[in-house]
Amino acid sequence: MKYQFLGKTLFFQEQEILVIGDLHLGYDYMIQQSGVLIPERQVEEIIKELGEIFNRIKSKRQQLKKIVFIGDIKHSFGYKWKEKDYFIKVLTFLREHLKEKDIIMIKGNHDTIDYTFSNKLKDYHIEGDIAFIHGDKIFPEIFDKKIKTLVLGHIHPSIILSDKQGIKKERFKCFLTGKFKSKETIIIPSFLSTIEGSPINDYAEEYEDFFSIIPKKDLMNFNVHVVGDDGVYEFGEVRKLINRMN
Amino acid sequence: MTQILEAKERMPEDIKKVMHPLIREWFFSKFKDFSLTQKYGVLNIWERKDILISAPTGGTKTLTAFLSILNYLIIQAEKGILDDRIYAVYTSPLKALSNDIHKNLIEPLEEIEDLAKKKNIKLQKIRVALRTGDTTASERAKMARKSPHILITTPESLAIILTTKKFIENLRELEFCIIDEIHALDNKRGTYLSLTLERLNEVSKIYPMKIGLSATIEPLGDVAKYLVGIDEERIVYITKVPLDKKIDVSVLTPVEDLINDANLTIGMYSLLDNLIKEHKTTLIFTNTRSATERVVNHLKEKFPTEYGDDNIAAHHSSLSKSHRFDIEERLRQGKLKVVVCSTSLELGIDIGYIDLVLMIGSPKSSSRALQRLGRAGHRLHETAKGRFIVMDRDDLVECCVIQKEMIEKKINKIYFPKNALDVLSQQIYGMAIYKIWDINEMFLLIRKSYCYSTLTKNDFLDVISYLSGEYSLEKNSVYGKIWYDRNTKQIGKRGKLARMLYLTNIGTIPEESFVSVKIAPSGENIGAIDEGFLERMKKGDVFVLGGKKYIYMYTRGMNLYVRSTIERQPTIPSWFSEMLPISFDSALEINRFRTLMKEKLNSKQKEEDIIKFILQYLYLDKQSDKTAQAIYNYFNEQHNFLEIPDSRSILIERYRSEKNYLLFHSMYGRRVNDVLSRAFAFLIARAGGRDIEIGINDNGFYLAGEKMKIEKAINFLKKDNLEEILKEAIEKTDVLARRFRHCATRSLMILRNYKGRSKTVGKQQMKSHFLINAVKKITSEFPILREARREVLEDLMDIKNTKLVLEWVEEEKVKFKIKDTSIPSPFALNLILQGHTDLIRIEDKQAFLQRMHQEHLKVIRER
Repeated sequence: MKYQFLGKTLFFQEQEILVIGDLHLGYDYMIQQSGVLIPERQVEEIIKELGEIFNRIKSKRQQLKKIVFIGDIKHSFGYKWKEKDYFIKVLTFLREHLKEKDIIMIKGNHDTIDYTFSNKLKDYHIEGDIAFIHGDKIFPEIFDKKIKTLVLGHIHPSIILSDKQGIKKERFKCFLTGKFKSKETIIIPSFLSTIEGSPINDYAEEYEDFFSIIPKKDLMNFNVHVVGDDGVYEFGEVRKLINRMN
Repeated sequence: MTQILEAKERMPEDIKKVMHPLIREWFFSKFKDFSLTQKYGVLNIWERKDILISAPTGGTKTLTAFLSILNYLIIQAEKGILDDRIYAVYTSPLKALSNDIHKNLIEPLEEIEDLAKKKNIKLQKIRVALRTGDTTASERAKMARKSPHILITTPESLAIILTTKKFIENLRELEFCIIDEIHALDNKRGTYLSLTLERLNEVSKIYPMKIGLSATIEPLGDVAKYLVGIDEERIVYITKVPLDKKIDVSVLTPVEDLINDANLTIGMYSLLDNLIKEHKTTLIFTNTRSATERVVNHLKEKFPTEYGDDNIAAHHSSLSKSHRFDIEERLRQGKLKVVVCSTSLELGIDIGYIDLVLMIGSPKSSSRALQRLGRAGHRLHETAKGRFIVMDRDDLVECCVIQKEMIEKKINKIYFPKNALDVLSQQIYGMAIYKIWDINEMFLLIRKSYCYSTLTKNDFLDVISYLSGEYSLEKNSVYGKIWYDRNTKQIGKRGKLARMLYLTNIGTIPEESFVSVKIAPSGENIGAIDEGFLERMKKGDVFVLGGKKYIYMYTRGMNLYVRSTIERQPTIPSWFSEMLPISFDSALEINRFRTLMKEKLNSKQKEEDIIKFILQYLYLDKQSDKTAQAIYNYFNEQHNFLEIPDSRSILIERYRSEKNYLLFHSMYGRRVNDVLSRAFAFLIARAGGRDIEIGINDNGFYLAGEKMKIEKAINFLKKDNLEEILKEAIEKTDVLARRFRHCATRSLMILRNYKGRSKTVGKQQMKSHFLINAVKKITSEFPILREARREVLEDLMDIKNTKLVLEWVEEEKVKFKIKDTSIPSPFALNLILQGHTDLIRIEDKQAFLQRMHQEHLKVIRER
């Protein structure tokens, strides 16, 4: 299955499908409401970054046929008019580049409300032999024989790299790829720059099977691809990487 | 400009003349005569002349301040004309000074009132009220209803009162304002208070005279200006009361051979044990929280029959309030044999009778040393006994020089942070809550404060923009705390909740970020640890807090849950950057000593003559010839191996081990070395040097890396381009991000209490890098960000004195000298060893990723 890592997004060249990780629109609004008075720039930034990725695809003489949002498009668990406002803004931007039917949105655990009120959010999406799900719930359809690849989000993988003396520590987003129920599986990082799940450094002690549909024993064998500014770097298997770092 | 004059000693008869007979009788029933401090201060205050009184601890300052005030109030009270308003405000940065106030105000007042009753003299009741963060709501309401005549408060509570209408009415005719412990205000709390005082001056129709009380401090002129502000019409008197507290101080080395004796640590603990045994109550200062924990731990372990929880305790600011209070109580009651603290017991509260003060490691400045010594033998006429215990040769030289400064009464200068925009934001907000201002009126008032007398109009207007929400690029009321009408040129508060927001978020200026440590699962609070330290620990680590061992279980939110453990060996934490920096003045003193030693060794003077010189110059007593010998040996080694760095040169050692090393002997203190090292590292990195590592301490710094062209950097760095270079050098650092977060909290950009809910934002959201990056996206010149940079460069580091050093280089008073060596010289050893705890790497995130990737690939390939 041929795919590329485009920064923190995933692109299937053949099918010309771009996959975007957890968005959590409304996150900065939530922070503001908690008393941290950082201005709301989230939508602006997301639109800007999406635009840049679209340009990148174009510049490689490729086409963008479909876009899949892997879930958790909004952040709060309830209805917030602010979030709806953001959502509509992002959707409006997308509609300039893609047809409505090619904008696919998967329902994540935070997506308790569909701001389009048109049943746009889907539990899963199948495109040929690729199945796209959020990653918190299993839908038996995705384990059908003809499905060869699974793409999910939900756990926002990240890694904290530090040098031997512990002088420098930095957190990076990463992709995790591996095999689950004999399907090639790709876990993509969150799109929002500020939200990260627990870093893979803690997986050995803290990851529980119920965190996502991928059980721990499978996850530990996944490969880590760290997202840098100029490309993605291979760091080997989760289990071995954790051992090296400790 | 404010005029500064010297106060003179006055005659006792003149003081007696102005005293009310009751006061006179009361005073002389308790004291034989006026103290020296009173002879200098009392009449000045009676004559309503602003005065700054500087005297060592135990110098009867507090009573001096209150005597004239009580005199005045008694006169009014007898005539029956005492109004219901506040006549005097007393403020101290140390909350728990209630014992002091009790002794010097409440008791005298009660005794005078009793005397009056006996003599059938009718007196109106003089009311004294205490208001701090702990005052209950009902007590506050009572104060508002029935105004006290004397108000005792803290700087923060005073700022709050200035937004309360009821209190403001009672302050309209304030006559006296006492500011105590000014020496503890050389930080942002002091900056904050300076503005509060100007607000007070504005609120009161009559100018409240200022009485400043401080320990021995320099430069007195600046402190006096801080006290009364900058204004043509203001005059302040200074009195440095010529009191001499006798000190009995000496430098002790645990073993003779500080380098080779493997029993150095054991020797130290035996020495401590012996000293403690010879005295009733001993107070030990260690400078850092980690050393405090370590010393208590070791004493308990090595002498288990001597020391236990009942007679030894660790005291530092990371422990919970109740814990600390308990220790202070027990100390006051004489129940503790020894208390070990970092610096937490240096100031203020009465801790009873201490008969020996020990300082493990240099206290880093003479005023701090004197402050600590002042805790021993509390009353003025007793000799304060103290000992330095040194652990290495640099420490030995440093402590001897500081001891010399103490004996010669050379006090290092203090400095108040100036033009702090975050403090300004909080204060402007408070001012806007109280009334509507004309913008120029506000600006002029602010500039009367010593700390803001050079504030530019631009900076002022930027802060107004920030407060009125203009930087958020949306006219959303979430941001606007004030409104600024450009047409009418007026400023006022915005929203009905402004005052509530202000009151629930103002508080002690936060200086550090802590994570609470609690017992799992009960949640009992034990204390706190540095957030930076938490980031380096992981599950299962064992650390020591309050003298007890705990194991890291898990974190929830901003709390660390632990279980106590007795078996495991602790990985005792070292708090990063907790080390106290040496004062610039003391560093120059050490340099002076080095220069003299160099001259003597160069002119081949005899060993015994040089040792005589050392004994004499450093005031070492006859028993200290081993100490003098050790110092001589140290300098002689350096002299024979390489050369002695002195005040005329910055010696750079160049040698190679796994990397290329450049070791700078810049004896200017770590605050200056922080600036110099980063500037050079930045310049070298920019010119193509790779992987530059930095290590710093008080005596110098080193740079290590692959390729380093230092000559170019030395020629390029000048006093005039230093600031620009540093600004870039610190841009992506942790320290800037962390300080930015503090500044953001102070300027009320991060609220602890919003819309009635206390902060529920998790640790992640509060990560400093997240905040600083979000703000940089608006503009890199965001005023609060500018303030964070200023704080890092001026308050944390010392860019001002670094510019001075560079000026000396430009004037050729100081020269850079490069010498190649095969191994580090004796003077350099400590820097190499110690510098490791302060390593910084200058590289951006992407370069770091590439480097880590290479390292991992290497390992993967080797399999």
